[in-house]
Amino acid sequence: MNEQQLHDKLRATGLGGIGELESSARDPFVVVEASVLLEVMAFLRDDSETAMEMLHNVTAVQRETGFDVVYHLCSYSRHHSLTLKVIVAQPEGEAGDWEPAVPSVASVYPSANWHEREQWDLLGVRFNDHPDFRRIILPEEWIGHPLRKDYVYPSTFGEIPLELDAIPLYERDENDPPKPSEPRPAGTPLTQPPSEYSTRPDAGGRAPAPEKKGES
Amino acid sequence: MGLLNNTLPDNKLVGAVDTAVGWGRKSSVWPMTFGIACCAIEMMAVFAATFDLDRFGAGIPRATPRQSDLIIVPGTVNAKMAVRVRRLYDQMAEPRYVIAMGACVCGGGPYVKWGYNTVKGVHKIIPVDIFVPGCPPRPEALMDGILKLREKIGREAVFARRNEANTQMNAKYDAVS
Ligand code: SF4
Repeated sequence: MNEQQLHDKLRATGLGGIGELESSARDPFVVVEASVLLEVMAFLRDDSETAMEMLHNVTAVQRETGFDVVYHLCSYSRHHSLTLKVIVAQPEGEAGDWEPAVPSVASVYPSANWHEREQWDLLGVRFNDHPDFRRIILPEEWIGHPLRKDYVYPSTFGEIPLELDAIPLYERDENDPPKPSEPRPAGTPLTQPPSEYSTRPDAGGRAPAPEKKGES
Repeated sequence: MGLLNNTLPDNKLVGAVDTAVGWGRKSSVWPMTFGIACCAIEMMAVFAATFDLDRFGAGIPRATPRQSDLIIVPGTVNAKMAVRVRRLYDQMAEPRYVIAMGACVCGGGPYVKWGYNTVKGVHKIIPVDIFVPGCPPRPEALMDGILKLREKIGREAVFARRNEANTQMNAKYDAVS
């Protein structure tokens, strides 16, 4: 099956909330409402013609308007693949540390378990009803989600210096210890200025990349 | 060498004994079995047959920090790992030596600007004797680092009273021990 046939098949299920097929993209995708995500996934897995045995990637993209959560499905037996997207719009007036939430698909595809934890760890996307929802790579006490556009780079992690010009631990004056950085309580808005590495245009960061030729 | 440690006068005879002891010490530097990232692959090559670190008496990677004299830190030290590296170093018995292998542990390497959780050089955590830069360093470079460390160990005073030069050399170990 090609993507168009897969999309037709999805539409034929009668589930609402299935968007158009974006076939002009290099990796054709279907935008799906979060409310029907589990049903769509379960259908694609169980139907004998679609037979998507594998969810091989879950990732997310931060945009100015919110987050896209992207699911890459493929079928070994039928040799086809499909990309699903759930778009979560950022509500008006939400601060920079707003956390989007989508349902976890770990109950349909167990492989989603770690992928979703990674998206939580690096981008701060919440997955509701996840069986084991915590960070996967960074330490539990880590503050913030490093791949966010407005992420503020930490200077220390506890005692451990993370800056290039930090004073080594064993050269420090014990009577004058450096002040530990203030942890930010969960839920408080990000009040620090955007980092110099921020790519947001209003942060005065790097200039936007020039448009590539020949890309749709 | 507890009681005699750096108490004998600094003369020719004691110097000769020190040289002999130094030769023994530098010829049995036992590194720890420890690797973090890509550089560790290159370190394993150095231990294996082609490069054969055993020629310099350092070819027996020990399985525990308590038996080893040398910790080669090969690979990116991030915030989570730094705690472990520090603990392993603290568990090693004195005298202990550190080789920082690779650009990552010499000063951040590829992660120097965007590495949000990378410790920019393992010398922020533990005192380093030899820096071996490269990404990753060739096995020859690591072997050169170990040869330099051998030279350094051979020069250290064990019995003789410390003079200006070896006090400086030993000072940083006293500071952390
Ligand atoms: S210096 Fe290069 S090869 Fe070594 S750990 Fe870092 S990235 Fe890997």
